[in-house]
Amino acid sequence: MSIRRTSPFILSALTLVVCFFSGREFLAMRAADEIRPGPGLTAARRLSDYFPPLKGTPGDTPVYVFQGPAAGGSVLVVGGTHPNEPAGTIAAVVLAENIRTAKGKVLIIPWANASGFTHSDPQEASPQRYEISTPGGRRSFRLGARVTNPVHQWPDPTIYVNPGGQKLAGIESRNLNRAYPGKPDGSLTERVAFAIMALIKAEGVVLGIDLHESAPEYPVINAIVFHENGADLAATAQMSLQAEGYDFRLEASPPNLRGLSHREWGDAAGIMAVLLETANASHGRLKGRPSAALVVDGQDKFYEKAAKLGRLFVPFGPAGIPLDERVARHLAGVSALLEALAEIAPAKAVSVENIPAAPAVLTQGLGAFLRPPD
Amino acid sequence: MRLVYHLIVLALAAHTAWYLFREKDFWKQAGAALVLILFLLRLVLVK
Repeated sequence: MSIRRTSPFILSALTLVVCFFSGREFLAMRAADEIRPGPGLTAARRLSDYFPPLKGTPGDTPVYVFQGPAAGGSVLVVGGTHPNEPAGTIAAVVLAENIRTAKGKVLIIPWANASGFTHSDPQEASPQRYEISTPGGRRSFRLGARVTNPVHQWPDPTIYVNPGGQKLAGIESRNLNRAYPGKPDGSLTERVAFAIMALIKAEGVVLGIDLHESAPEYPVINAIVFHENGADLAATAQMSLQAEGYDFRLEASPPNLRGLSHREWGDAAGIMAVLLETANASHGRLKGRPSAALVVDGQDKFYEKAAKLGRLFVPFGPAGIPLDERVARHLAGVSALLEALAEIAPAKAVSVENIPAAPAVLTQGLGAFLRPPD
Repeated sequence: MRLVYHLIVLALAAHTAWYLFREKDFWKQAGAALVLILFLLRLVLVK
């Protein structure tokens, strides 16, 4: 038999082999990351507990509850709205693995868009995972995509009209932070948004904190974006952060920009809603080769050059902006917001112990505040 | 909607496989095999 006749069979066999190995890698992203909440945990719930139709769908995700012995307010901390912004997710994981609540209640959702963690942004060559060293070994976390997996929500409309009536590009139909306040009978992303709104209302949340990252060339960065309900809170937190040496700018949530957490949580549930942004080089368009090292170390010579040319909105030197620093900023931001809440609304105060201090995270490394792997 | 997606991808995968076996040129066969990988992963909703 000639090679011309046998080659289709050989190539078909190779195709199946490649499908097997690549398929196995893709499927591995559907396994949830490990988390070991600390002794302060009082209940481990699911988002579907607040909106049962979400049960069994790829949008269901863990909710960790830290209820203190004394009465106070409720605070929601959300990471992983955009799974390609790892500082938000890791800050939420660090909080869940360390905190104890003395007064009030803290609810933590580390992987808000659970479906988005099951795939990578297409055509970006993004790594599927990154690792963080802890004293007991390395822990691996998934780096997902900005939006819901199209395997779970398809097709995208040409124009997406979100629940707030804003017209957006079709792909934004899978962006959780454009889908608030959600719809009970909408797309998967809209149902997840609806479930988070249901949680906010059911738990009487007074302050919602959404943890994000953005590209260093994006103007809304190192910022607290606030709903007008939380203007005093954000300004008070910013002053204490500035006093501690953290440069945070204040950005008011535009009233006509619909579907975002800092807008709809405030409008639909009346809570103080804020969104924190840090600078992530692996997230930006000017970066060089994407890699797990870029996610964790945050060093990139192209961003260094861009900083020298004055094209960035944050300082960027040879040391880059590592994940340690980005998570430390988020933790400092959460601490400052809780202190500001106690000052502004003492009856709704939430007192949280054992939040890793930002200087300690910077000196000891992030891994010192993550529980070691099995 | 999922059925529609499956039918579209199945049609494209079948067409590509047919092309792979019909084509005489090895490099064109190899190109079809590479495209077939993507369709097969989509067909089983892995990617």
